[in-house]
Amino acid sequence: MRQIFAVFKRELGLYFRSPVAYAIAFALMLFFGFLFTGNLSEASQRQVPADQINFMPSTLTFLMFLVAPLLTMRLISEETREGTLEVLMTMPIRESQFIIGKFLAVWTYYTVILGLTLVYYQILRTVGIPDSGRALGMYLGAWLYGGATLAITMIWSAVTEDQVVAAFLGAATVLVLYLAEIAASAISNLPNVNPGLGSFIRELGFSAHYEATMLNGVIRAEDILYFVFMIVAALFITTRIVEVRRWRS
Amino acid sequence: MIEVHDLVKKYGQATAVKGISFTAKPGQVTGFLGPNGAGKTTTMRMLTGFLPPTSGQAKVAGYDVFEQSMEVRKRVGYLPESVPLYRDMTALAYLMYMGEIRGVKNRREKGLEVLERVGLKDRATSRIRTLSKGMRQRVGLAQALLHDPEVLILDEPTIGLDPFQVLELREIVRELGRSHTLLFSTHILSEAEQVCDNIIIINHGQITAEGSPSELRANLERGGRVLLRLNVPPQDALDLIQTLPEVATAHVSNANDGIIAEPVNPNTDPRPAIARAVIGKGWDLIELRPLAVNLEEIFLEVTRQQDEVAATEAGAEDDAVESEAVS
Repeated sequence: MRQIFAVFKRELGLYFRSPVAYAIAFALMLFFGFLFTGNLSEASQRQVPADQINFMPSTLTFLMFLVAPLLTMRLISEETREGTLEVLMTMPIRESQFIIGKFLAVWTYYTVILGLTLVYYQILRTVGIPDSGRALGMYLGAWLYGGATLAITMIWSAVTEDQVVAAFLGAATVLVLYLAEIAASAISNLPNVNPGLGSFIRELGFSAHYEATMLNGVIRAEDILYFVFMIVAALFITTRIVEVRRWRS
Repeated sequence: MIEVHDLVKKYGQATAVKGISFTAKPGQVTGFLGPNGAGKTTTMRMLTGFLPPTSGQAKVAGYDVFEQSMEVRKRVGYLPESVPLYRDMTALAYLMYMGEIRGVKNRREKGLEVLERVGLKDRATSRIRTLSKGMRQRVGLAQALLHDPEVLILDEPTIGLDPFQVLELREIVRELGRSHTLLFSTHILSEAEQVCDNIIIINHGQITAEGSPSELRANLERGGRVLLRLNVPPQDALDLIQTLPEVATAHVSNANDGIIAEPVNPNTDPRPAIARAVIGKGWDLIELRPLAVNLEEIFLEVTRQQDEVAATEAGAEDDAVESEAVS
């Protein structure tokens, strides 16, 4: 526990001291700001009820295929390349503690960004009555979705010492999981294919567990379990990769 | 206390460490001496628990490095060769972070204390990126000392330092050796001779010689080879020396500008006989001394013998290592 907290604290401090993290937050908030203003003026022209206006978590989750690799690409690759991992691995700390600490730090940073988007919810409350139940599901989903994408892109940071390679592979992996739904419907439309395959692929992807349910305020245990499982599995794989790389180095 | 028994490390096909055994005692500085690529770093990484050994056994502070890795890690301070540090942290913050992972109490006081010990207290709040190479080396050393470890393992701590810093660091190492089990590696022979109580010469993953500097020296002096220098060209005197009954063989050594003579019996000194013969001829004797008295010659001798037997590695590489080691 002590070790996890030590790694977590240092890493989180690094996010809030490094200009990159502020740049990412700034770019996201700027983008959200424009988008929200556009949505709001369009909604007011067409007299759309406030509870149907998108208040941003879904935009953030869509952008995670870019944001997650950028946030996680250096987490492990930098320590491997600089050799600081070698020092850590001669200290009384396990690989799993090191990785969990790193993950919790980046997830916390993401949570802060996600929290910043609550400002749009507040603005909507001044002009109408947004659906608070739907907002709850949406934010819970976005939080879990972010955790899963961050954990998955972190795997690539352990695989390669090259941050750019890690970022691209991470982006590709998140996109594949994001687009699984499209692949699933394409497969379902093929003749002579077991329809189970299509729905299996669909269930593997993010969309079936977020966009279809939590984004509309439907909170199901299976969706929460799906994201928790994704996070745990990704962290487990990352731990194993770090172990194997050390043993073979 | 470090006890190593028949330790082997293979990387795929290549064997980096081929079954070495040794003991490093508390209160002593044990030196790992060998050319680059001899297996020093690999051995040290196995002792710190970073690399698992392929076979064999190693105990550090009484714990098995593989079975009880966490116990070993708590008791070892390690300074890797490249001295990896977090450049964006201050020296003190870095030490406090490492202390937190290690569970050190009173981290700030402890961090300042070890920084003072390595003579860097006035730079405690400087970012590591602004420190010189020698200072970083000392931050790394401070990190290794932070938790009062029983065993210290320092991998080439003097590499890349200027001569003054090297002297300082050697002094620190010698002092630490009195209160710790200290294993350190170097490819600089004079350094091992100055600092170590016990030297282990390692080459191609094997221990080729072991002992205190004076033991190693005595070992090779027993070979009894002598160097002879005269005021006449060595070639002229060679025939005379070769015909002496006490001398088995003799040859001209251009490097020493003299003759190297090998006695028939290693335990009898051929020098009196050589001196008599030379004086009898009416030549002036300039120098007559036992050969291979410094560690450099022993080291080159030992590693060369082995290289000739193995005759595997490229010669150019070893030459480069040797010339570096001599300088």
